Amino acid sequence: MSHKILIVEDEDSISFALRRFLSMRGFDVDCASELEEAQALVAHVPYAAVVADLRLTCVHGAEGLEMISHVRKHAPGTRTILLTAYGSPEIEAEARSRGVDAVLPKPQPLGELADLLTALVEAE
Amino acid sequence: MSSPSLLDVLLRPGSLQAVFQPIFALGEDRGVRFVEGLIRGPFGTNAREASVLFEYVRRKGKEVEFDRLCVRQVVASAAGLPAGLGLSVNIHASTLEYDRSFPDFLLHLAEASGIPAPGLIVEIVEHGQGFSGAGFSAAVRSLRDRGVGVALDDVGCGQSSYRRMLDCQPQYFKVDRYLVHGCHGDPRRQAILDSIAGLARTFSSRVVAEGVERTADLETLRQLEIDFAQGFLLAEPGPASWLAVWSTDVSGYTPAISAVAAPPE
Repeated sequence: MSHKILIVEDEDSISFALRRFLSMRGFDVDCASELEEAQALVAHVPYAAVVADLRLTCVHGAEGLEMISHVRKHAPGTRTILLTAYGSPEIEAEARSRGVDAVLPKPQPLGELADLLTALVEAE
Repeated sequence: MSSPSLLDVLLRPGSLQAVFQPIFALGEDRGVRFVEGLIRGPFGTNAREASVLFEYVRRKGKEVEFDRLCVRQVVASAAGLPAGLGLSVNIHASTLEYDRSFPDFLLHLAEASGIPAPGLIVEIVEHGQGFSGAGFSAAVRSLRDRGVGVALDDVGCGQSSYRRMLDCQPQYFKVDRYLVHGCHGDPRRQAILDSIAGLARTFSSRVVAEGVERTADLETLRQLEIDFAQGFLLAEPGPASWLAVWSTDVSGYTPAISAVAAPPE
């Protein structure tokens, strides 16, 4: 059975590429472009993993961190990966404190992301 | 480059679809008595499923605006329903609290579509934080005074509290599927259902069991003297035109349907 995962990303081109590649690697992929949309999905759909971009709306946003907290609260068994082009030790520490499983820089080689996802969801 | 937000998509004219699920009487006067109008989001979006759709709308804080849209869609689509069936519409408690003109809006809409007020049931859905309730109580009173029925949704689960029962004194208690599913063979669920039925009698209200999916559960509900049943075992939600069959011909359907359908005239 394929693992169901959620991509939270507001850039259509990135979302499209992630969905296409991860689907080819056997994942059942949903995509959400807004925080509230992703939160609503997590509240009602069981995901094996959520991959969230740090910033969804503006250059100062940190919706990805909110998403990590939301997943931890509503779906504690779901694994989480935070993607960011604005990484810093502070961001990573904050994400870790919210229970993220991995913080990865953008752009991220798709193969490596798929390998990490596989390792996380199959470790369950 | 980003697509329009999901909210923009949902607010487009024609994006929402209304379907109707029959509610069957379990007593001597068996048969379909009313239908619940339900909303489905656009195909191909994450909001196709109602649970995700409404969770999203609440998180965007758009319940009031959206309840009006949904009611408009349900009432418009109800034109094809068989005559004489009551129509139940879902409304957030917060909409009744904050949208002071909602009762007038609903009644005008129904009247324009030829639906009499006594044929309407407002099904109150509660998800948000508590509020003082002055606007809510006034809205419920206004609807009731004009003949609209009031139902409390998700009784026994979620945030439908005893306080809300006192505030709105519903004619119908709609029992959440969590309590219904598997009630056969579960004395604890039966005890809770029996207790809700007793409470409803005290309120001179009637009980609707939601989410009926098993024949054994249906029989248990009948033994507990639950008044109405709704669920996939009996009928899936469908378009208004499709529902005409329930009031005219139920031959050839499942034994469960035969057990709750009106006997031939």
